[in-house]
Amino acid sequence: MFAHGFGCDQEMWRYVVPEFESDHRIVLFDHVGAGNSDLGAYDRVKYNSLRGYADDVVEICRALELDDVVFVGHSVSAMIGVLALKAAPELFGGLVMIGPSPRYVDDGDYVGGFSRSDIAGLLDALDANHLGWSAQMAPVVMGTSDQPEFAAELTNSFCRTDPDITRHFARVTFLSDNRADLATVGVPTLVLQCSEDVIAPEVVGRYVHEHIRGSVFTQLAATGHCPHLSAPEETAAAIRAFLPE
Amino acid sequence: MTRRQKSGGPGPEDGRLDHLLEDDPAELYENAPMGYLSTLPDGRIVKVNRTFCDWIGRPADEVLGEHFQGLLSMGGRVYYETHLVPLLRMQGAVREIALDLVRADGTALACLANAVEIRDDDGVPLLMRATVFEATARRRYERGMLAAQRRAEESERRSLTLQMVVSDLAAALSVGDVASVIVERSREALHARGSALVLVETDPHDPDASPALQPVRADGMPDNLLQELRDAAGSQLAVELARGVRSIVLDDRLRGVQPGLSAAMAAGQLTELVVAPVSADGRRLGVLVLALGAGPDDLIDLGRPGETAMLTTADVNLLWTIGRQAGQALERARLHEETARQAERASFLLEAARLLAEAADVAETVDRLAGLVVGRLADVCVVDLDSDEGLIRPAVRHSDPARAHLAEELRAHHLPRRSKAHPSVHALQSGGTQWIRTVDDAFLQSVAVDEAHLEVMRALDLTAVAAVPLTAEGRQLGVLTIAADTRRGPFTVADVEVAEQLALQLGLVVARAQRFDLAVRTSHALQANLLPPAPPSLEGLAIAVRYLAATYGVDVGGDFYDVVQLPGVEVGLAVGDVVGHDITAAATMGQLRSVYRALLADGPAPGVIVDRLQTGWPLLSLRRMATALFASLDPVSGRLRIASAGHPPPVLVDGGRAGYLPVRPSRMLGAPPSQAVEWNGLLPRGASLVLFTDGLVESRSADIDEGFDLLLAAASSAGTSDPDALCDHLLSELTGAHRADDIALLVLTRL
Repeated sequence: MFAHGFGCDQEMWRYVVPEFESDHRIVLFDHVGAGNSDLGAYDRVKYNSLRGYADDVVEICRALELDDVVFVGHSVSAMIGVLALKAAPELFGGLVMIGPSPRYVDDGDYVGGFSRSDIAGLLDALDANHLGWSAQMAPVVMGTSDQPEFAAELTNSFCRTDPDITRHFARVTFLSDNRADLATVGVPTLVLQCSEDVIAPEVVGRYVHEHIRGSVFTQLAATGHCPHLSAPEETAAAIRAFLPE
Repeated sequence: MTRRQKSGGPGPEDGRLDHLLEDDPAELYENAPMGYLSTLPDGRIVKVNRTFCDWIGRPADEVLGEHFQGLLSMGGRVYYETHLVPLLRMQGAVREIALDLVRADGTALACLANAVEIRDDDGVPLLMRATVFEATARRRYERGMLAAQRRAEESERRSLTLQMVVSDLAAALSVGDVASVIVERSREALHARGSALVLVETDPHDPDASPALQPVRADGMPDNLLQELRDAAGSQLAVELARGVRSIVLDDRLRGVQPGLSAAMAAGQLTELVVAPVSADGRRLGVLVLALGAGPDDLIDLGRPGETAMLTTADVNLLWTIGRQAGQALERARLHEETARQAERASFLLEAARLLAEAADVAETVDRLAGLVVGRLADVCVVDLDSDEGLIRPAVRHSDPARAHLAEELRAHHLPRRSKAHPSVHALQSGGTQWIRTVDDAFLQSVAVDEAHLEVMRALDLTAVAAVPLTAEGRQLGVLTIAADTRRGPFTVADVEVAEQLALQLGLVVARAQRFDLAVRTSHALQANLLPPAPPSLEGLAIAVRYLAATYGVDVGGDFYDVVQLPGVEVGLAVGDVVGHDITAAATMGQLRSVYRALLADGPAPGVIVDRLQTGWPLLSLRRMATALFASLDPVSGRLRIASAGHPPPVLVDGGRAGYLPVRPSRMLGAPPSQAVEWNGLLPRGASLVLFTDGLVESRSADIDEGFDLLLAAASSAGTSDPDALCDHLLSELTGAHRADDIALLVLTRL
């Protein structure tokens, strides 16, 4: 089961999934509020905590009658996976965390990589792009029917989300503190750490690795925060190496 | 690019223009009015133009080799990683992404970026080319628009909130419903941690007392917060705070002045309390309290300690409006509830009135009434009545069968007459209602007669007691005491008013019943004095008599019988029936019997007795008419003479045959006189003579002829000549459990 992180949807997995299709049942989904999910199901109270998303993961597993699930979570979904495991440990056989962070905001000796003002800046950045998104939708709305391809090109057709939901998801993502939940993980776990990842720096990945008993830490050459996009082969290979034969 | 055609007139600047339009691509790249840059897929800048470098205030050689994302603000970096990179990878291009570049001096430059991804033939990314436009003014404009949009959304949200409040309130019938709507909606509207509606309750019995503040609904409020708020504001909360929407911010000043309230707020992680008035037509009904905090979640709080988001003017206006809407809805709901309560009260009192109207016996009535009270009004109901033997408790009831035994124990303990502290005693003595609003142990100790009594009262778990005197005709007849236990909660003013209404009705019924009781006792005394003793034992005769009073009303009537040894050998027999069965009938019967006995002095014939009574009736001032049958019998010869004044004929039973003696009745006694006709005949040995009043033949059948036939059939089938056996047989055959009239029966057998 692949779970996308903040900012996009299940399309992110398109370069990695083919690698596993031959010998695994693949489950892809959009978190409620993202991608093609039913925005009407977005409940501000439920999704005011990562537990709301984790409950959905458990629900999906039960609805599909899955067991021995290897949960591959990117970014915030890595922590959603930890919470899903905590809620229903019997469903899962393994956990792959890509660029995880249990807490983004620095706290005393703990380095999360972000100050409080950084997060405030991020929320501002989302606001700045709020109208941008709408503007990009404008040609379609106005119906430039003589240049449909132009309209399509203008549109950021992937990862479109409702701006208010994006903002709320960002709050929940970047303001959560799930450090204490790491110790509850009781399945084989792989921590995939990118190079030069500004969102989840190596020190944070190391922290996660140290706090999950028996976890494997793999440093990727891939840079940035989305190795499954920038280096799908390396990412897939690392996951493959972690999986039992 | 298309060059301008030289079609216009020549000008001095043409040469220079041509020179400028001879675009040097490198020059255009470097000095274009936009930033150009190319990066490797990992963001490392491999080419950048001068414009870009000038904007950020850093030389090109310093910029080259850096990561593009490294030049962005932190928010921009996250946006780059989470949105720009994935989009670029998936769709090859992005447009108009807002990013902030960080200049060398640390200031931010608002930009818009477009980018494309250059890929090789296999789709592997090689390069990102981006153009960057300065967008400071545009960003400012966008922020303005965003703020305007947010304001519009907020305004729409507020008007939506108000619409929902109005529509929800329209459907709210009870005060509880109104409170739910207000608390829920206001909490949502302000994203408050908690919300509560506190209403002012004025005591109509004591309008001068400072108003009590009653939280009717609270949601998400820390337990002790409202109490602390009330303590902090004193009784002035509703009056003082409700003058406008007030905000109480948790700051150093508040910590100094109101440590209790501050501690409660801090414990609940609250930063601010907002108090809005709830009023209707200028009357202050209460306040709406909203608790604002860091957010109802476990997310990290970005705010600085002590920093609070102040309410906007629009929020204040919204709360003010909600408060007024709530006030009007509360007034309406209260009216509705009061109407419903009045209807309920009226139906209860009607039921009680019906029960009391059916009253026959005081003890039973009071018991049934107490049963009604514990079903609807209270948990315990005790009725004490004053009587000749002092106070008696004809009723002690409890609503809960599990606690009924406690009430029974209470019955065993007499009302402590001397304890003035006892509300029942006090009510009886003062003639006014005593209402103990809060029952505590000190109160119980003050009224208990002994330890056992105290234990029973403690076990009843009482919370409120009201004692109402039963008064009628200016006399205190007793006291009705009701009590509520902690499960029911205290009495309302309306409850006590209902008890007072009930006591008024009960007092009248008790007074009436007491008069009735007096009449009954008097009738019994009269009857005991007026009915003759057991018939005398007479030679040659066996006699049995029965007297059965009607089962309805007073236990006495105007029927009588008489057996007397006349001077000489004859025996005088009489049976009569004075109209009615009350004290007057009994008294008339007594007088009639006395006069009859007086007439017997000179041994007149039965016909003479009838005639004398007929003619003397006006002189005797007897108030009722009567029927009577008189006979004289010679037990030796069996000679029998009978005269009837409107009375049913006697039955002769002889050897299994029964028949009515053909006695011709004259008019009733008290009617205009007519000549009596005497029947003369013989009573054979072994035969029985049955004298009776019409109650015997009317008891079973409404049709008197049918009754006469039944009597004959019963007499002939009796198979006995023993007078007692015959009496019993006739009564069992002819009477039921209920009799509307008295029955006098006399059976005489000649041996």
